[in-house]
This record gives sequence, structure tokens and C-alpha cells, in this order.
Amino acid sequence: MADEEDPTFEEESKEIGGGAEGGQGKRKRLFSKELRCMMYGFGDDQNPYTESMDILEDLVIEFITEMTHKAMSIGRQGRIQVEDIVFLIRKDPRKFARVKDLLTMNEELKRARKAFDEANYGS
Amino acid sequence: MDNACESPTEKGGETRESDEPTAAPGGSRVTEMDGIPEETDGDGDGELKEAAAEEGELKSQDIADLTAVEREDSLLTPAAKKLKIDTKEKKEKKQKVDEDEIQKMQILVSSFSEEQLNRYEMYRRSAFPKAAIKRLIQSITGTSVSQNVVIAMSGISKVFVGEVVEEALDVCEKWGEMPPLQPKHMREAVRRLKSKGQIPNSKHKKIIFF
Repeated sequence: MADEEDPTFEEESKEIGGGAEGGQGKRKRLFSKELRCMMYGFGDDQNPYTESMDILEDLVIEFITEMTHKAMSIGRQGRIQVEDIVFLIRKDPRKFARVKDLLTMNEELKRARKAFDEANYGS
Repeated sequence: MDNACESPTEKGGETRESDEPTAAPGGSRVTEMDGIPEETDGDGDGELKEAAAEEGELKSQDIADLTAVEREDSLLTPAAKKLKIDTKEKKEKKQKVDEDEIQKMQILVSSFSEEQLNRYEMYRRSAFPKAAIKRLIQSITGTSVSQNVVIAMSGISKVFVGEVVEEALDVCEKWGEMPPLQPKHMREAVRRLKSKGQIPNSKHKKIIFF
């Protein structure tokens, strides 16, 4: 059964040329290069299958869409703010820690850049 | 692998890609702490240095002031007092843990083979392009979004990809097959994550009572 699936997929991707799944139809692939690096980094082969990458890209876009919709419906309606994202993520320890780290580091970098610019401007 | 995918984490040094929840309960080494901890100056660990310094300053002033602080502290329930000291301890302990972890990471990375080094570099450097993510979010909201939102969203998306790929690798191994991952592994991984609740899905309306 598994062997029958794979050739079908290859056929589809040759025909349509874009999304093999048909889920995203004609939309151009947004993240093919980055997703490839990411999948390799997380443990996949150096050249992952295009179909797997397509599935992942659809998943990511769906994830972002869901998060955006949810974030728009809480807090300030119709707007998306960082606090809403942090609230939605609170139950997932990995993602929560990651967001906190990223935002803290961004602040540090901004401060460092500002201090550097001021030092340059002064001299 | 030639690409210029920079992630903001690369500049900030090491980040802990750990699974620990951020609210790690710190084991308090200080149990009985009633009154002013001036005798712990000789502790050497410096965990109560701040508190001791504060109290020391007050001590050089009027005795009445000291008793005021004492009174204030006694107004705090022992639980609240312990909490105050605990948070200070936790912060310093966390810094030490950070340094330990950084050293361990350095030792680990220095012992990587070339293939492992490659993979680790891809793991750290790969990131979603901020422009594309911003465009995507803006097309959904219809309004403009701040930069922090884009940073947060691309960060969690990367973690999400990691979760799916790791689960798919588990499935692949369990079925006795080899990478590269095939769509069937991905779909099984998504099914498993869904039952764990890691994949948000607001399309299906749950009926609770009927």
C-alpha cells in the first residue's frame, strides 16, 4: 500500500508543478529554501523530499494563520500584539521559552546598537 | 548548503534549546530565615549579599530604623519572606546554571564530527524570512504588524517545524525505515501531535454537552 502512494505523488507534482497536495493549489512555495535548511538542521536528510517539504510548508502556513486569527480575537480585537501571542503560547513550554528568549535578546541587541551609535556619534 | 539564512539568535551567543519550562522551581537552600540575615555575610556564596548589604546599611543608622525594617519584615508572613529571598537566590543560581550550560555546550560542539557540525550550523542558522512572514500575517490581519510580532511568530514557527520533524523522525524509526522523511511519516506525526494538542485547529466546533 505504501509503495502505491509514492509514485502517485511524484506524478502529481510533475503535473501541477506547484503544490502536490492540492491543498495550496497554485500558490508559489514561500519557504522552499529555508525549509530545506531547517529540515536538515532538525535531523532529516540533506536533501529532503519535495512532497514532505510541501506538507511542512502547508502546516506552517496553517499554524501561522490559526495563531493570527486567535491572537486577533483576544486582547485588542482586530489587532495582533506580542502579548496575545505570548498568551496563546503559555501552555507550550518550548515555544514560550523560545519567544521569551527571542524578545529579550532583541531588546539587548537594540540597546547595544543604540549605545554603539551614540558612542560613534559622540566621537 | 549555501544560503544566508540568519536567525537573530546567532548574534546573541548561545541560547538554551532546552525543554525546561521557564517556571523552574528553585530549591531553596535557606530554610529558617527569620529576622535580618546579617550573619550570613560569611557564607561566601553571595546569595544573600544584596539583602545583607541592605540590612547592613540600615544597621549603621538609627536602631529605630532597623526595627522598622524588622517590623516590615515581620509583617510579611514567613512565606512571603522566604519568597523574597528565594527569588534572589533563584536569579543568581540561574546565572551560574547558564554559565555551566554554556561551558557544556562548548565542550559538546568542539567534539562534533564534520557532518554534525554542518547539521548544527543549519539548525542554528536556518530561519524563516521576516519579509515573507510579515507579508503573510499582514494579508491575514489586514493591518500592519509590529516587528516584534514578526520575530515572535517566526520563532515559534521554527519550533513548530522542529516538533513536527522530530516526531516524524520518531515515526520513521519506529516503522523501521530510513530518512529522508516521506509524506506518510509527516502525516502520522501530525496525527500524533494533534492528539497531544500541539497543533491548533479552530475549524472543528466541539460540542461539550448534549
